[in-house]
Amino acid sequence: MLKINNLNAKVGEKSILNDFSLDIKPGEVHAIMGPNGSGKSTLSNILSGKKGYDVSGEIKFEGIDLFSLETEERAHKGIFLAFQYPLEIPGVNTNIFLKTSLNAIRKARGENELDALEFLKLVKQKSKELKFDEEKLNRQLNVGFSGGEKKKNEILQMSILNPKLSILDETDSGLDIDALKTVAQGVNALRKKNNSFLIITHYQRLLDYIKPDHVHVLMNGKITKSGGPDLALELEKKGYEGLN
Amino acid sequence: MKTESSQNSREKEIEKLKKYKYGFSTDIENIKAPKGLNEEVIRFISNIKKEPKWLLDWRLKAYQRLKVLKEPNWQKPKYPKINYQDLYYYSAPKSFKEKPKSLDELDPKLLETYKKLGIPLQEQKRLNNIAVDAVFDSVSVATTFKDKLTEKGIIFCSISEAIQKHPELVRKYLGSVIPLTDHFFATLNSAVFTDGSFVYVPPGVRCPMELSTYFRINASDTGQFERTLIIADKGSYVSYLEGCTAPMRDENQLHAANVELIALDDAEIKYSTVQNWYPGDKDGKGGIYNFVTKRGLCKGKNSKISWTQVETGSAITWKYPSCILKGDNSIGEFYSIAITNNHQKADTGTKMIHLGKNTKSKIISKGISAGFSDMTYRGLVDISKKADNSRNYTQCDSLLMGNKCGAHTVPYIKNKNSGSNLAHEATTSKISEEQLHYCQQRGLNSEEAVGLIVNGFCKEVLQQLPMEFAVEAQKLVGISLEGSVG
Amino acid sequence: MEKQLIKDFEKSFKNSNLDSEKINLKKEFLNKFIKEGLPGKNLENWKFSDLSKIIKTEIGDLSFYNDISSPNKIDPSIYLKGMEHNSIVFINGRVEKINLKFEEIDKVEISEDFQSDKTSLDINSLVNLNSAFAEKNFLLTVKENYSFKKPLVVYHYTNKKIKSQNLNLRLNFELEKNTSLKLIDVLDDFSEKNFINTFYSFKLNEDAILKNYKLDIKNNSNIKYSFTNFEQEKNSLSETFILSSGSDFNKNEINCNLNGNYSSAFVNGILSLNKKKHHEIRTNVNHLTESTKSYQLIKSVLENNARAVYQGKIFVSSDAQKTDGYQLSKAILLEDTTEFNAKPELEIYADDVKCSHGSASGSLNENSIFYIMSRGLNYKQAKELLINGFLLDVINKITDEDVKNLIKTMIGIKE
Ligand SMILES: Nc1ncnc2c1ncn2[C@@H]1O[C@H](COP(=O)(O)OP(=O)(O)O)[C@@H](O)[C@H]1O
Ligand SMILES: [Mg+2]
Repeated sequence: MLKINNLNAKVGEKSILNDFSLDIKPGEVHAIMGPNGSGKSTLSNILSGKKGYDVSGEIKFEGIDLFSLETEERAHKGIFLAFQYPLEIPGVNTNIFLKTSLNAIRKARGENELDALEFLKLVKQKSKELKFDEEKLNRQLNVGFSGGEKKKNEILQMSILNPKLSILDETDSGLDIDALKTVAQGVNALRKKNNSFLIITHYQRLLDYIKPDHVHVLMNGKITKSGGPDLALELEKKGYEGLN
Repeated sequence: MKTESSQNSREKEIEKLKKYKYGFSTDIENIKAPKGLNEEVIRFISNIKKEPKWLLDWRLKAYQRLKVLKEPNWQKPKYPKINYQDLYYYSAPKSFKEKPKSLDELDPKLLETYKKLGIPLQEQKRLNNIAVDAVFDSVSVATTFKDKLTEKGIIFCSISEAIQKHPELVRKYLGSVIPLTDHFFATLNSAVFTDGSFVYVPPGVRCPMELSTYFRINASDTGQFERTLIIADKGSYVSYLEGCTAPMRDENQLHAANVELIALDDAEIKYSTVQNWYPGDKDGKGGIYNFVTKRGLCKGKNSKISWTQVETGSAITWKYPSCILKGDNSIGEFYSIAITNNHQKADTGTKMIHLGKNTKSKIISKGISAGFSDMTYRGLVDISKKADNSRNYTQCDSLLMGNKCGAHTVPYIKNKNSGSNLAHEATTSKISEEQLHYCQQRGLNSEEAVGLIVNGFCKEVLQQLPMEFAVEAQKLVGISLEGSVG
Repeated sequence: MEKQLIKDFEKSFKNSNLDSEKINLKKEFLNKFIKEGLPGKNLENWKFSDLSKIIKTEIGDLSFYNDISSPNKIDPSIYLKGMEHNSIVFINGRVEKINLKFEEIDKVEISEDFQSDKTSLDINSLVNLNSAFAEKNFLLTVKENYSFKKPLVVYHYTNKKIKSQNLNLRLNFELEKNTSLKLIDVLDDFSEKNFINTFYSFKLNEDAILKNYKLDIKNNSNIKYSFTNFEQEKNSLSETFILSSGSDFNKNEINCNLNGNYSSAFVNGILSLNKKKHHEIRTNVNHLTESTKSYQLIKSVLENNARAVYQGKIFVSSDAQKTDGYQLSKAILLEDTTEFNAKPELEIYADDVKCSHGSASGSLNENSIFYIMSRGLNYKQAKELLINGFLLDVINKITDEDVKNLIKTMIGIKE
């Protein structure tokens, strides 16, 4: 589904990713773990099409060259990024944002757009599943949301937009155990349908609830070690320094 | 009647039409006053409208005054000199020589025009709960919902009709807020105004529906000088909406309206404008000069006047809807969104003059400039010595898109009363890359994303608009910025 | 006034040792001033302070001739105590003494009568007046990599010998690369009813730091105008603090051009006025290149018919991305006879900037007074306490500890 070959990324003179390669097949869950500053967010930003990086190498998503697509076209094709720091957008109602975004994606996919009623039904159902306080959806997007609420809002958006590849950038950081379970529930619900995930995290904790197929360690912009779920446990015990 | 300058290739026309959907003109035969500004023309206008002598004298007095007044030039947007002798000051569809008694007598072409504008006068009558007075070039075309309003004693008609039927009210209040000699454009309007709307709401009456005027400039070389007078008598309430469009023409057209509002004790007037006059093409050719004087007088105690404006059209917008807070405890509000794109220019804001005790004013202004445009917020808050315990809060935010445009904030703040408090805040910012990226990651293209974020930026003002208008305005905000990103 | 000007000009330069080219240049400025006259309400910048009218009613006819032929004696009691410093002493507009005893002699240069550029001086009519009449045109240069060891205090002293006179003072400073200077202006007046017009120009080269503290404290009936121009190159920093209080009328204009990346300007001030005084601060900060910063905070406390004006403009050119501009003015009106006018202005042509301004004016917060009184203080004490707090905030912006303490004592602020 996603194939990254020798990706290099620089900002100005600073090189952040070096010959980074990764292959994610449909239905797989990959976890990337790595210390602060190792380039995890840079990777997710580049996958989502954020500007400002000098990149070389190759990224294919379902066989299409990702660099040829704009950010929103990638979203239309089914790439979703749950941001490490979800943004506040003053004045923009969360519900309206969600509906606009869902319909933009549906339209691009050639599906019919949902009317207000259908949308409301969908949101109600998803909010209930994820125990998201519906009242918050009538507020301005992420404005005045707590850190945890912002993260949960990202997961709600994910389950409504129904992407093929979801990238979760430290979505688990700062969540209490109940919220963590909710996030896992959102992921697992989507996972059933043969969608893929790239889960970026510091902690093994989340992986107790979302069992990954592959775990990779990212250091200094490069994958230094890959393995099965056990690698995460090993990391938890030994720390990044203890790996070799 | 002259048609559009025909040398334009068809393609160019279509291109233009895509951008400004109100840009058609209607082939209707017009009666015009001879070109030029002189006593004869003023007499012609007064005569054709069968006005009483006092009004003709009043007009002539304004004209005398005009001769010594200079056009102001302190505003930021400069414009080429207007040749006032080369304009028509009166233009009316021929079928109007005798004003139609009912809608059924209207020229079907006119009805068609208003339908295209989204104001189907006939349907409107039945469907929406909005009473409409439509002004086509210089004359008022039709006023809907008359019966329902008459029941409550509310007068809503063209000002020409009011002059005939309610001369005492007109005479008492006309020019009482904007004096005859106020400034060049206001005085010009007083001399040559042609039509406009008149509203009187009797004591204690809450107007049961929105009142609305739709202005359209159709004829070419025609200045539009309408005059609106709204009086809310003691304890009454009225909400009034104003919309404007014009066909696309290569030359600039002048629109110099005067709007006067008077609120007596405990009365409230809410005045909303969605101004979408033709802004000119993307190279800055053509478009309306919108030089309008709007002023409200909170004459009685506990009265309130609230201006809301969404200004997206016109080549140049130059207006300061203001409130004179004379009555104790009176309240003035100004909510504004002004958007300029391409080569548009706007110099707009408000004046809040606090004269009475415990008077309060609030100013929320959102300016957005894109392309090569220029936007100025200019405002005055003046708290006089006697205005004990008065309050003002001002918030002016500007958003710039690109570095070919400008945003200018020029507030004048005067406080002469120690018991009063003034607070002013202003910010200038841009849409952050991060916000754009976030929206795009959720599937919106850059224009949709900008539209969404800008609407969020304007929300406080959009909320002030009546429902039907708010939706229209929101769309307009998006359309106005088209082509300004990427 | 025209005749008087020409007559006084002739008289002033009759025996001057200036060459004819310089005299002609001065004449040019004189003619410009004659054409423009004293500024009044008709000019946007003078909307709130009609100088021509004020001079007319408060002074009447001005004399522009200043007899500088004989030196004045310096009364040593004028010197600031408790702080070692260098000094320049003006008495009645005449430069009496320049004393840089704390500095290395080869690191500081003073050149007299340096050639100032004609076009750059054509700023406004009062600067033209100054260019026409200013006696000396000193340029003080701080040589590369040198930091002044002690502050330089400029005493602007006047005594009873002059009346209804116009004085024109002028100083130019150039700070070469990587230098610093602390400059304190002390306005010390024993004269009455004169019009004092001062022009300062600062050129700050790369990494230069200039701190200028202007202190107008002593009650006097003179009318003052001061124009200060800054040209700032890369990474330079200017800090201006204005304490405006003593004179009957005082208008300080600051124009600052941030020409180099990472240059920054700070302008802070206090207008503490009573007894019909009328003071104004007007600033123009021009962000002309990327990544520059400006910060302004002006506070006023007004009583007994006083009027304060703050006009502040932040200009951001289209090249000046990443500008950070901030401006805030606050005023407390203690009595109904007082007035505060503000015109905080932004003019912005770049989109990646952070600019904001704010202005607030009103009375002391009655709730706070009540709260303090409930703790046992009387009304007057409560009021003083609150005003102290209000002003302390801006005084704490002063980065020089000695000057901060000096100013605190001067206006009797306790912490
Ligand atoms: N726009 C940028 N400019 C300069 N350095 C950057 C930029 N973005 C990221 N970096 C640097 O690249 C490194 C990787 O950052 P990031 O991908 O955010 O790490 P992680 O998410 O793994 O903590 C860090 O050292 C960070 O400081
Ligand atoms: Mg990160």
